[in-house]
Amino acid sequence: MNTILILIGKIIVAVLRLFKRNAGNLPGIVLWHLTRGKCCKMFKINCPIIAITGTNGKSSVTSCIAQLFEQNGKKIIINREGNNLDTGFCSLLLRYCTLGGKVDADYVVFETDESYVPVIYSQLKLDTLVVLNFFRDQLDRNGEMETLIQKINGFCKSFEGNLILNGDDPNTARLGRANPNNKNVKYFHAKPYAFATDTIFEASEGRFCPFCGETLEYDYYQYSHIGKFICKKCGFGNHEPYITAENIDLEKSVFTADGHEYSPKINSIYNIYNMTAVAATAKLYDIPQKVTHNVISNHIINNGRMETFMLGDRKTTLNLAKNPVGANMTLRVMNEMQTDKELLFVLNDKLADGIDVSWIWDINFSEFDRVHKVVTSGIRAYDIAVRIKYAGYPADKIIVCPDLDEAVAELAKTEGRKFVIANYTAVAPTRSALIKYAENHGGKNE
Amino acid sequence: MNKIRILHMYADLLDLYGDSGNMEIISYRCRMRGIECEIDQYSIGSPKPDFSSYDILYIGGGADIEQQRISDDLIKYRAEIEEAYKNGIFMFLVCGGFQLMGKHYRDTNGKDIPELGLFDYYTVAETDRKKKCVGDIAIRTEFTGKTLDIVGFENHSGQTHNVKTPLGEVLNGNGNTTQGKNEGYFEKNVIATYMHGPCLAKNPEISDYIIGYCVNRNNDIPTELAPIDDTIEKNCRQIMIDRLMNN
Repeated sequence: MNTILILIGKIIVAVLRLFKRNAGNLPGIVLWHLTRGKCCKMFKINCPIIAITGTNGKSSVTSCIAQLFEQNGKKIIINREGNNLDTGFCSLLLRYCTLGGKVDADYVVFETDESYVPVIYSQLKLDTLVVLNFFRDQLDRNGEMETLIQKINGFCKSFEGNLILNGDDPNTARLGRANPNNKNVKYFHAKPYAFATDTIFEASEGRFCPFCGETLEYDYYQYSHIGKFICKKCGFGNHEPYITAENIDLEKSVFTADGHEYSPKINSIYNIYNMTAVAATAKLYDIPQKVTHNVISNHIINNGRMETFMLGDRKTTLNLAKNPVGANMTLRVMNEMQTDKELLFVLNDKLADGIDVSWIWDINFSEFDRVHKVVTSGIRAYDIAVRIKYAGYPADKIIVCPDLDEAVAELAKTEGRKFVIANYTAVAPTRSALIKYAENHGGKNE
Repeated sequence: MNKIRILHMYADLLDLYGDSGNMEIISYRCRMRGIECEIDQYSIGSPKPDFSSYDILYIGGGADIEQQRISDDLIKYRAEIEEAYKNGIFMFLVCGGFQLMGKHYRDTNGKDIPELGLFDYYTVAETDRKKKCVGDIAIRTEFTGKTLDIVGFENHSGQTHNVKTPLGEVLNGNGNTTQGKNEGYFEKNVIATYMHGPCLAKNPEISDYIIGYCVNRNNDIPTELAPIDDTIEKNCRQIMIDRLMNN
């Protein structure tokens, strides 16, 4: 039976590829129906599977972890296109398996949607689960965050593999207590950076201890609710760090972990956390230090995640923001830069974005340091303009241009360092518009 | 009066779909007119507030699990809230806040959980996911004395019945019940609605109705609020209305 199913799957993959169609998800959907929802169970994977999940940073960390193994000469399978549900995993494995369902690789590295962790890894044995963070994301689609955490927590109760957790995120760190018998729980941390605060600066989740309900106390906040926390009542937060990022200097773009200095190309506190998760995974799998250094120091992604363009001679940074934390991240980087700046915010509300755009009200626009103009664009150009106006930014400095090409031209017309924030379905068209402008006006995509 | 005092209840627990943004909007629109606006927060564990000292009581919406905890807490202040309401405090209630002021909430087991009971509507839980009311909504209102179409984003499964004086008539969307005719609840000093977004973002007239009410609460001669340029908000609303009506 298995062989027939796999054969069907492989034929669908072959046909789709013949017609140059994307085979990233459809074969899995067909098999999902044929197997009554157990489409990952057909495969026999004898090598370790490493899954990466969390609200923000999954793609970056997945790509870096894959490179750790690749540069160490191992054969890996990874979902680079980001099809991160069970049907995507199934479609990917179909391309690499024998008719018997045997998958040939040294490691499988899989970016996994938060709500699909229990679905997929109840069918396949997981070696390591890396959990980066939990933030509010597309509430109307995913249901509330607590439900999501409960799902993964349920999975962790019987999981005995490696659990690499963000020890500075109470929503993530709590998973470490799900299974008291699991001796393989490892927390990564970061010491405070220059812009860490004593009080909370951005909208956050999980102010209370998930175990006893007491208000959590913080030594410092790095961003949102990420920071050194402790529950004074039950001690939640006193976990031993497995690896800690220290000496974080974003001006020079360096940090150290376990005595090694790294100089990442992407310069933000968010990336420091992501790269510390990568360093933790490298430590766990005994990756040679030279390889880890190389991966962390050279990591860039050209898909609208902190991507740089030149609009004529004006340096422009584009960043994806699917949720308030993602947007706050770009605003933080922008405000921390000591120069004159301008911002373009592109907001869509297509199905993949979540049809509700009220998350923009959880973005902290209260501090705009030397930002001289804001251009808004996308299907919901006016919504984001209203939001920024009510944050107190002068209405006469907000320019609404629903058309993206006009918006980019408006942004490029005046002096200043440029920042562009675009949400999920807005990123690709925004990239295209930036590249088009750069090509026509003597610039480049760096 | 040159100062408005707001009591924002359960801001840490009831804040879905930008509900706290409503406070940012009211204080902005006060600031633009030189009206001082002070917002106090109350939540479970805070000292008992003096309800009689406020002009506006505001409660937003949240997850169902939180709501039970909140209604247990809120019910302790039943007498004080009723008195403040009778004395003319303005009550602005969104989603969960709307439900909490009704008679009861009938849960999925058919059990009636008593709510504050200030108004005689009640809410029944709906378990059929297909009947969940999610999406953008446009309604036609008359509360300003003129016909005014307003928009918001609804996301609720509770069905609110027995509303005698709704805020408006549904043009597109669900309203108080799935595929319903009416939305929200209105009295001269009460606006209750399922509309998030936040509700006031695209509907400056609601903010100004509330602010105007407070400013004139103890005035014999009513004063008009100075106009604000609302071009962005009104364009934003018109685009949504056009989109909904062409669906």
